[in-house]
Amino acid sequence: MIQMTQRAGYLPGLDPDSVQWELKSYGPADATLSVLLPVLQRSQIATMAQHVRRQSAIHLKTMPVSQIVDAIDRAIARLLDRNDPYRRKMDALLPIITGYDPEMVQLGLTGYLKTFRKPQLQRFLAEDFANPAILDSFQPLTKGGFGQAFGPDVLAHIWAGNVPGLPMWSLVAGLLVKAGNIGKVPSAEPLFAGWFAQVLGEVEPALAECLAIVWWRGGDIAPETALLQQADLVLGYGNNESLSAIKSRIPCTKRFLSYGHKVSFAMVSATSLDADKASATARLTAYDVARYDQQGCYSPHMVFVEHGGSVTPQRFAQFVAHELAAFDQKFPRRSLNIAEASGLATWRHTEEMTAGGQVFGEASGAWSVSYQSEDQSFLASSLNRTIRVVSVQALADVTAIVAPFKALLQTAGIAAPPTELFSLAAALGAVGVTRICALGDMTTPEAGWHHDGRFNLLDLVAITEIDARAESAADRLAPYVD
Amino acid sequence: MECDLLIADLLKFIAADEPSDAAFDTLAQHVFAYQFANNQPFAKFSKARGKTPRTVKTWVDIPAVPINAFKTLDLTCCLPSDSVAVFMTSGTTLGGLRGKNHHPTLSVYNASMRRNFAERVMLGQDKIDMGILFPTPQMMPNSSLAHYLNLAVQTFATPESSHLIGEDSINIDRLIAQLTRAETTGQPYALLGASFSLVHALDELQRRGKTFCLPAGSWILDTGGFKGQSRELELDEFYDALSHTLGVPRAQCINMYGMTELSTQFYDRGNDVCPSVKSGPHWIRTRVVNPLTGVAVAKGETGVLAHTDLANFNSVMTLLTEDSGIATDAGFVLLGRAAGAQAQGCSMAVDEFLKAAAIS
Repeated sequence: MIQMTQRAGYLPGLDPDSVQWELKSYGPADATLSVLLPVLQRSQIATMAQHVRRQSAIHLKTMPVSQIVDAIDRAIARLLDRNDPYRRKMDALLPIITGYDPEMVQLGLTGYLKTFRKPQLQRFLAEDFANPAILDSFQPLTKGGFGQAFGPDVLAHIWAGNVPGLPMWSLVAGLLVKAGNIGKVPSAEPLFAGWFAQVLGEVEPALAECLAIVWWRGGDIAPETALLQQADLVLGYGNNESLSAIKSRIPCTKRFLSYGHKVSFAMVSATSLDADKASATARLTAYDVARYDQQGCYSPHMVFVEHGGSVTPQRFAQFVAHELAAFDQKFPRRSLNIAEASGLATWRHTEEMTAGGQVFGEASGAWSVSYQSEDQSFLASSLNRTIRVVSVQALADVTAIVAPFKALLQTAGIAAPPTELFSLAAALGAVGVTRICALGDMTTPEAGWHHDGRFNLLDLVAITEIDARAESAADRLAPYVD
Repeated sequence: MECDLLIADLLKFIAADEPSDAAFDTLAQHVFAYQFANNQPFAKFSKARGKTPRTVKTWVDIPAVPINAFKTLDLTCCLPSDSVAVFMTSGTTLGGLRGKNHHPTLSVYNASMRRNFAERVMLGQDKIDMGILFPTPQMMPNSSLAHYLNLAVQTFATPESSHLIGEDSINIDRLIAQLTRAETTGQPYALLGASFSLVHALDELQRRGKTFCLPAGSWILDTGGFKGQSRELELDEFYDALSHTLGVPRAQCINMYGMTELSTQFYDRGNDVCPSVKSGPHWIRTRVVNPLTGVAVAKGETGVLAHTDLANFNSVMTLLTEDSGIATDAGFVLLGRAAGAQAQGCSMAVDEFLKAAAIS
C-alpha cells in the first residue's frame, strides 16, 4: 500500500527536525495525494550546499567516471523493475501529480529510464568526450599537451514543468562530470528527483551525500539567491520571464546555462501519403501529439503536409483526427483547468474562423485537429492534443515559414525519403531547428542527444590543460636528467 | 426601417420597470433574428452550430461568439462605413490585432449607460463634482471608456467637473485642487477613471505626502484593472490605499466591469469585501459556462462568463469572454482572466509563444 502522503526533497546534511514543511494537495477529490514540501530558508540552503560541496570533493571527485556510470546503471535497474518500491510509487503517484494518463506515464517512464542504462550513458559520455577518461585524469590532447575536464563543485539546477522524469537529464549530466548537485524542483512535479536521489544513495552510499533536492515557495528570492551564490554553475529551465529573473540574480562571474521553452513541428512528404503509408504516418503523428498532451518542448504544434500524394493534406488531417480519437480511448487526456479550457475554446474558434479553416473533433472533446488550406502561418497550438495541419506545395517551403521563430525552434519530426530528409535537415538546421527525428520519436530523444543543440556534458566542464611545452620544460628539471 | 423599429423596442425595454422574463426572451429573439439576417459572419457562425431563428427557442440557445472574433471579423449589421462610432480594444493579444465594435447610433449605448449609471452609481443623486482620470473622447476617439466617462460628465457632472489627464500625464495639481475644494466646501466629490490611472494618482499623492478626507456622499469608480500599466496591486491593497488616501470608505469604491465588445456595464455595490459581486441591469444577462461546451456550470463552480446584452444590437448579443467567474444569487464574482494558460511542461502556450515571438 502506497502512502497518500509523501515527502518531497532530499536533504543531506540537514537536520530534518529543523525543516519546516508545507502541505500541498494534488489530484482529484476522490484520490488526493498530499505532498509535504520542504520550505527551505536561506541559511539551510547555504549549509546544505557546503555539505554537498565537501562530500562531493571526498567521494565523487575521486570516483572514476566508469564507477559513476555503474552506480547510475544500478539505480536505473531498480527503477526499471516494476516491483521496486520506488518504481511503484512513481507509477502510482506521478499520474496523480501531473494528471497524465497512468498507462502513458508508466510506458513513458520505462522508455525514458532505458536511455540512462550503462550502454546509453557510455554513449552519452562518448558523444561529448572522445576519451571519457579525461574526466578522471590528464589525457593527451590532439593538439599536444594534456587535458583534464573538471566539473563544477556545486551545480545548481532550477527545474520547471511537470513532464515526469525531466530533471534526470541534467542531474545525470551533473553526476557524470562529478559535480555536487543541488536541484530545485517545481511545485508542478516535486517528487521524481527526490526519489531518484534516494535510490542512487541506496545503491551507492558513497554518492548519497553528493546531491540534494530542494524546494522553496515560488517568489521566495532569499533561498534562491543563496543557492545561486553557492553554485559554481547554474542550469535553469522555464519560460523567458523566469529565466531572466534567475539570470538577474547570478553574479556575472558565474555561468548560467538556460533552457527556455521551445516549440516543435512535424513535416509529412507527399511520398509518405500513398494509400499504404498514410494511415501509419497519421498514427505516428497522433502519437507525438498525444504523448504528455503536447507539454514537452519536443511536442509538435503543427504539421506541414505536402501536396501531391494520393492522400490529400485535408484527408491526412482527418486520418490524424481518427488516430487521436483512438489514442483518447487508450490514453485519455488529463482534465483541463478553466484557463486551459478557455484557451482551447479560443484556439478552436480562431482556427475555425480563419479563411480556409476547418476543425475536426467535438468542441467538448479531448482532441482537436485544425486543417488550414490557405493560412500557413506558424502558430502555437493550444497544446492538450490540439494540432494545426496546413498544406504546403513543397516541404522545402516550410523553412521560410518557420525561419522568423529561430530562437524558439527545437524538433522537426519528418516523414520523407532519405535524400529529402538530408536536404530538409540542412535547410532547417540553418533556421534554428536543432533536432530532426522520425515521426513517432519526437517525444523520446535518444541517449546523448544535444538538448537544444548544446553539449550536455561539455558545457558543464572546464578543461585544465598542460601546455605541450610544459612537459619538455619539466623534463629538463627531472632528477634523472642527463 | 427594421433597424429603427428594433432600436425603438430596445429603448422602450431599457426604460421599462422590471420587464418579465418572457419580454426579455422575445426581444432577444428579435435581436437574434436581426443579427442573423444582417451580420454575415455571425450568421455563418450560428449556422455552423445549427442555430437559426427557427431553432433558437430562448435567449440561452443563442450561440456565444468568442471575443477574439471581434479582432478578425467585421461583426456588424450596418455597413462599417455607416458607423457613428467604432470602439476598439487595446490590442494587447493576438499579434496586436484590435477588436472592433461598430455603432450605427449611440442612442441605445447611451440610454443603457445612463439608466444603469443613475441607478447603480449615482444612487439617486442628480449631479456631483467629478474628476475624470482618463483622456477625453477627442484624445481617444476609439475608446469606449473615454466615451462612457465623457457621457458620465455630460449627464451627471456639475460644471466644476473636469478631465484630469493632459496630453501625457495626470494633471496632479488640478486633482489636488479639486480634492481640497471638496474638503473645504463639504460638497461630495466623485473620482472616476482607469484603475491604473488611480494607482498613478495614489503614488503621486503619496510622494507628496497628501491625504484627504472627502465629504460624506463622495465615491470612487475604477475600471479595467492595471493591465501592466501601473504596479499590480492586490484588490484589498488597492481599495485600502484609495480609502486611506482619499478618505472614502471602501463600500463607496465602486468597480465597473465593462467591455469594448458590449454596450452595457456591470457594477458592484462597493468593495468592502473583495472580490465583490457584480451585476448588470435587466437588459443584460450573464451565464457562467464551460467554455468548450457553452453549457452553464453547476452553481458555485468556476467557469467562463458569457454575457447576453440586448443593447449590443448591431454586433453580436451573446459574447463568450475570456474572464472566469462564479455565479452567485446576486450576480457573479469576477475572478480574472481565464485565458493565458501556461504550458505545464517545457512547451509554449499561445500567449507565451506570441510574447516570445515578438522579442525573438
